[in-house]
Amino acid sequence: GWYGANPSYPSNPLAGPPGQETYGAAAPGAGYGQPGVGALADQFSQMGMGGQKPFALYTTNLLQTPPDPLDLMKPPPEIRLPPGASATNSPYANADPSYTRCTLNAIPTTSSLLSKCKVPLALVITPHRSVPSTATNADGEPLAGVDPADEPVPIITDQVIPRCRRCRAYINPYVIFIDGGSRWKCIMCNVSNEVPAEYDWDRTTNTQIDRWSRPELNRSVVEFVAPTEYMVRPPQPPVYVFLLDVSPAAVQSGMLATATRTILENLSRIPNTDGRTKVAVIGFDAALYFFSLTAPANPAAPSAAQDEGEDGENAEPQPPQEEPEPEINMMVVSDLDDVYLPRPNDLLVNLSESRKPLESLLERINDMFASAIGGIPPGMQGAPQGPSAMGPALQAGYKMISPIGGKLIVLSASLPTLGAGTLKDRDDPKLFGTTKESNLLQPAVPFYKTFAIDCSRSQVSVDMFLFSSGYQDIATLSGLPRYTAGQTYFYPAFNAARSEDAIKFAHEFGEVLASPIGLEAVIRVRASRGLRMTSFNGNFFVRSTDLLSLASVPVDQTYTMEVVIEENLSVPFVVFQTGVLHTSCFGERRIRVVTIALPTTSSISEMYASVDQVALATVLCQRAVERSISHKLEDARDAVTNKLIDIMTAYRSSMTAGGAGAASQLAIADNMKMLPVLMLGLLKNTGIRASSTIPSDLRAYAQALLTSLPPQMVIPYIHPNFYSLVDMAPEAGTVGEHGIIMPMPLPLTSERLVRHGLFLIEDGQSMFLWIGRDAVPQLVQDVFGVERYDLLQSGKITLPLLDNDFNQRINAIIAKTREMRRGPYWPHLYLVKEDGEPALRQWALSMLIQDRSDQTPSYQQYLALLRDKVNGSGY
Amino acid sequence: MNFEDVEERDGLRLSWNAWPATRIEATRTVVPISALYSPLKQREDLPPVLYDPVTCKPPCRAVLNPYCQIDVRGKLWICPFCLTRNSFPAHYKDISSTNMPAELYPKYTTIEYTLSRPAQTPPVFLYVVDTCLDVDELKALRDTLVVSLSLLPPYALVGLITFGTMASLHELGYEHCSKSYVFRGSKEYTPKQISDMLGLAGGSRGVVAPRPGMPPQQQMYGAARFLLPVSQVEFALTTILEGLKRDPWPVANDKRPLRCTGVALSVAVGLLETSFPNTGARIMLFAGGPCTEGPGMVVANELREPIRSHHDIDRDTVKHYKRAMKFYEGLAKRASAAGHAVDLLAGCLDQVGLLEMKSLANSTNGAMIISDRVVQGILELGFTAPFVFRLLQCFRIYFPGTDYAKATKELKISGMIGHGISANKKSGCVGETEIGIGGTSAWKIAALSPRTALAVYFEVVAGAAGGNAPTPMGPNARGLIQFVTHYQHSSGQMRLRVTTVARNFAEPGSPNLGMLFDQEAAAVLMARIAVFKAEIDDSPDVLRWLDRMLIRFCQKFAEYRKEDPSSFRLTDKFSIYPQFMFHLRRSQFLQVFNNSPDETAFYRHILDEEDVNNSLIMIQPTLMSYGLETPPEPVLLDSVSIKPDVILLLDTFFHILIFHGSTIAEWRKAGYADQEGYENIKALLEAPQTDAQDLLVDRLPIPRYIVCDQGGSQARFLLSKLNPSTTHVNMYGGGPGMGGGASGQAIFTDDVSLQVFMEHLKRLAVGAQTT
Ligand SMILES: [Zn+2]
Ligand SMILES: [Zn+2]
Repeated sequence: GWYGANPSYPSNPLAGPPGQETYGAAAPGAGYGQPGVGALADQFSQMGMGGQKPFALYTTNLLQTPPDPLDLMKPPPEIRLPPGASATNSPYANADPSYTRCTLNAIPTTSSLLSKCKVPLALVITPHRSVPSTATNADGEPLAGVDPADEPVPIITDQVIPRCRRCRAYINPYVIFIDGGSRWKCIMCNVSNEVPAEYDWDRTTNTQIDRWSRPELNRSVVEFVAPTEYMVRPPQPPVYVFLLDVSPAAVQSGMLATATRTILENLSRIPNTDGRTKVAVIGFDAALYFFSLTAPANPAAPSAAQDEGEDGENAEPQPPQEEPEPEINMMVVSDLDDVYLPRPNDLLVNLSESRKPLESLLERINDMFASAIGGIPPGMQGAPQGPSAMGPALQAGYKMISPIGGKLIVLSASLPTLGAGTLKDRDDPKLFGTTKESNLLQPAVPFYKTFAIDCSRSQVSVDMFLFSSGYQDIATLSGLPRYTAGQTYFYPAFNAARSEDAIKFAHEFGEVLASPIGLEAVIRVRASRGLRMTSFNGNFFVRSTDLLSLASVPVDQTYTMEVVIEENLSVPFVVFQTGVLHTSCFGERRIRVVTIALPTTSSISEMYASVDQVALATVLCQRAVERSISHKLEDARDAVTNKLIDIMTAYRSSMTAGGAGAASQLAIADNMKMLPVLMLGLLKNTGIRASSTIPSDLRAYAQALLTSLPPQMVIPYIHPNFYSLVDMAPEAGTVGEHGIIMPMPLPLTSERLVRHGLFLIEDGQSMFLWIGRDAVPQLVQDVFGVERYDLLQSGKITLPLLDNDFNQRINAIIAKTREMRRGPYWPHLYLVKEDGEPALRQWALSMLIQDRSDQTPSYQQYLALLRDKVNGSGY
Repeated sequence: MNFEDVEERDGLRLSWNAWPATRIEATRTVVPISALYSPLKQREDLPPVLYDPVTCKPPCRAVLNPYCQIDVRGKLWICPFCLTRNSFPAHYKDISSTNMPAELYPKYTTIEYTLSRPAQTPPVFLYVVDTCLDVDELKALRDTLVVSLSLLPPYALVGLITFGTMASLHELGYEHCSKSYVFRGSKEYTPKQISDMLGLAGGSRGVVAPRPGMPPQQQMYGAARFLLPVSQVEFALTTILEGLKRDPWPVANDKRPLRCTGVALSVAVGLLETSFPNTGARIMLFAGGPCTEGPGMVVANELREPIRSHHDIDRDTVKHYKRAMKFYEGLAKRASAAGHAVDLLAGCLDQVGLLEMKSLANSTNGAMIISDRVVQGILELGFTAPFVFRLLQCFRIYFPGTDYAKATKELKISGMIGHGISANKKSGCVGETEIGIGGTSAWKIAALSPRTALAVYFEVVAGAAGGNAPTPMGPNARGLIQFVTHYQHSSGQMRLRVTTVARNFAEPGSPNLGMLFDQEAAAVLMARIAVFKAEIDDSPDVLRWLDRMLIRFCQKFAEYRKEDPSSFRLTDKFSIYPQFMFHLRRSQFLQVFNNSPDETAFYRHILDEEDVNNSLIMIQPTLMSYGLETPPEPVLLDSVSIKPDVILLLDTFFHILIFHGSTIAEWRKAGYADQEGYENIKALLEAPQTDAQDLLVDRLPIPRYIVCDQGGSQARFLLSKLNPSTTHVNMYGGGPGMGGGASGQAIFTDDVSLQVFMEHLKRLAVGAQTT
């Protein structure tokens, strides 16, 4: 399992206890996740046995406090609920931030208070975050030492699902039992409901259940197995249709061969526990290629004889036959208008039953299309992009599975140029960096949006794997995954002849195939009276005002939404509850319920003290992308800075005393002090950076990531990690109690680069091994197995595994970097020589966001700008 | 002159073997000068002529023949058609009265040249196979097709289209798996779309220019992916055929299967016309039902909509009829223009839409077959089995032919009736009168077989007012007709068959005209005109026309006293002609309402391709009688021939029927034949069967074989063909009985008998009152 254990930071006093995760994404909320008994007791006292403590606000002067990356690893501000808030006082009654978190961990009681503090109130939810398979033993029991947040979500199978008759909330740890336990009062709307008679009775064993042991009263994240009332139809099987680009460009880049091999190798990992999973393959270039996969008929099977009516009468025993070669029929459809399927059946086949022919097809498909172009050595780049009927292929896939729903997985190395969804190469470098650039980030044609709506309606979700060496219009294409709850993956200039390219794609594709998916899902977030959800962001389709429709629920995608305070809140705490009704990939209808309770406050200082800067940054990333498309990139960037200025201005006026010396201050709550550097990182991210050199495909892809990645991944994506490897602590790169020990992260400035040094910079998508030009030969030899610096080749590399401690520690750190986060990503490793290839060098340096670059300020400059604005506006 | 000897030698029967000398005389003789010509009549005795023919100067281009005047000393020859003097080419320098090339021998009025330029491509066979069949039918068809492969010449190119709801063209040369191009059944594709979708831009060779810097490509392009030598793809094709499954799309109980015959054919035509224009190719359609989808739809797939009948067409109530006709005519035009034949092979208890599709076979000389035979519970689309075997075994199918005719200046060409299209050759030989496909002296026939017989009609222009053709002078004045047929032999050779015939003109009033009348040929040639007219006009009009022509004919050639019917006599050269006309009037060719439109199309198609003898059987079936006392003998096609103690063998060409008289039927039931001492009965029962088998041997299409007993339901086939001399009217109604009186069987019909017909004819011919 590459999810691995969590990294641990040596000599890092703020890193929290072992087992705690980076960026707080998996850090147990309110500190109760600390496994130590003492800590637990301490926690209980905070939870209400000891009474509610007010938040203490600490103000930091940013001008004198350089950003420390370790701050990003702290848990969010504690959630301090009033005593007895939860019915069971379970330490797991409140949601882990990896499932749901809020920009404010204390909710203002009035909307005027909220607007006064200028911090947006928003929820960040990742209801289907992945759970590492290593967290449980073979029997599904949690292993010792595993972070409670990583434990599998408890499944409630008795189909007793008490819900509030008024607001439809699911029973949760914050309900109040009254009338001797025969009724429960809904914490969200205050109405009282009957406790179902069977609530305390186990029908399978016919014994009394201890109500207080029920998971839904103890755990903030549970999953109910839903009875038939929750089904519009019987649970659908998982369905995967692979839409494979088989054009010369796809063959010559090695994409087709790698893709088919990866599918082949992962057939057993595709969710198929109950043997119902269906699979189809459609190829496309200028035409569509369908494959009917008939499992070789067993000659002895009576059904076959009946079907064929042959030898029916004299059914003599057949002599044993050699196993026949599976039958594959390729059907070419060149008529791309109003796409049709060439057969009514055999195209979408049962994975288990048709495994043989499917394997046979996957083994052959590359040869089929490689021989059609002949003679060109694989990996030869610059194969001309041929015509591509990707749009019709999508329509065909849709036609094939729309009665069931499922996943269309597009793997394309070409710009769609034939039939529906045809796109033009509209990329125009002259527009880069101009106010017209955002046009290139908007969909070029409406097809992909309207088609997405059809897909969403039919429970069809689309994933895009894009490989073009030329322009592919990701801005338009990514609309399809966005509205169908899919994901876009991009492998620019993919060339499988480079093993790094092949490994990265094969790994990520394999993870996507293996990942458990929910199907036919709707998400609704309910909240205590007076609160309303609005402005939803993420990959889904908003079906009605607050109902999010997801044809599939991929793991580890994040959605954000804003919360409006409609009525003054008079309750001590409020509850947000996310309900995800979905069909599991093993054929059960289920409801995942994620509940989070947050205290209310009328104190603006408590509000500031409770700001979760990671959640806030995640929300602002999504907002910025949204704005860059609906307005202009420039507007999006201005909005980011303006939001910072607004918050800091409000903070200054509410929280600090003005007067002498104020002008030399830039004050912010201590728990928000990373916000400016995060926002600077956002401003420098490929997605919205001011630049006249970023191809729009790269921008659009970065935007797709910014709007879907969970906080755990989006934070490094805007604020990379930077380590010096030469002088890291001796235990870094060795195995500690919780896995590989990581080095201390450095602030993101090139001041830390030294000419004899070796550094690692990574943002979760790419890794750069930076080597200074004066690196000593011993270092070069130890790490790369090469004699001298000048013999090193910059570019994508695979670090050799050498027989020396230093090499192995660096390899361990790289391996850990690749596996420490959720999500399928397998970052490339680039070797960057200080005096090497300028573009690559430039790219690596652009990660050091505290530096000044072309059109973006350094962190100091940025702070100066903020200070001027904040202080200026104050007078 | 023995007409059959001439037919044996030249493949030709003329209505008149002495020709009226003037236009006026010719008009009076009613039956035009015309020839039923079989251009590829099998001739084992022809010498191999391995050089190109010597022809007259353009524009004449007549081929050197035995009727040319030769000047051996001057090395000159005089063209009898245009009287031009031509020098012999250099290699004829040794010509002398004792050293003549074969084409000048009097016995080689028909000769065949093997041309030096071989055909560019081998023959192409494209199977178009219906898969909307019952499992058993499909199996039978599959087996047929597989065996048929072994009958194709190994170098022939073969291809396969299967169809049902959609049409699939199979890529036979694909090594990785079975592969096909699938076309939507409901859509009308333009030729360009088909060509684009199949990637035929590379043409038949499919050579695509290699991209610079890339090695030459091994992959096959263009049509070469779909049409490959039999020797190369026999295994692959056999595998595909053996794996053929019923069309997978579900069919509801109240529906016919969706069958896109039209799209399948248009893909076939499109593939061939793009890749193999003007080379020999056959599209062989195997259809098990009507087209119910897309262009060419004959009937909707709703079962509650019945397939059209003659009455529906008459009343103009058929929804799809006109559109379908137009669609298939368009395809037929393209196929015939490209020189490709389309065979329509139908096996169905109901109709398949042959009527709508007929133009495909009619204008390309494709074969047309219907089978509704059920063999062991299997409806044999495998009817086709014997048919295909025979068609391919003898492999006497030759590709695309142009047949052209020319005549000396006294005659002009009126037209041709047969399975071809005009080649639009408007030479000086073309006359004003049009019969059949006129306005040209050459016709294009996509596929010729030794059976193909073309009817070519001429008019006499000599002596015409304003005509510049001279009246032939002298008692021995003669005219010439030359037929030249250029075709691709299945061996890959290009060949040229030349038949030159010369006939004398008969001086006005000379008995020669009548002496050399071939009444059998004339009947068949008139039948073709009648059927051609019937295809365009209503049948009553055609019948009236036939009657009028017959009366005028009798008026011209019978001996009689005016207004005295009893004086009416016809010499034996004319005597049976009226009888042929009587049977033609009653035949299925002109009386369509007892048949389905498909059957009508089928019967008419066959009539237009057969020679004189076969055509006569169709017009007037033969009837043999077998009795214990008498040797087998031909008897009158008349109800009087039915007797309890005889067996009748009827041959209508389409049906061969053995009919047991009631007594014999009882013997048969009693099983006497198997008992000792009744060998004579056994022999009697077997004799007609043996004869029937002989008839079945090489008859194409294979006749339906019926064995029945007097009084049985199948006997109606016989009764419908017999002259109703004994009807329920005259036997029981007390009318004037003719002939046998008490014997024979009453036939329930209101048709007039031959006797009544002849009485009327006599009266009309002599100008007596008819009442
Ligand atoms: Zn409620
Ligand atoms: Zn001449």
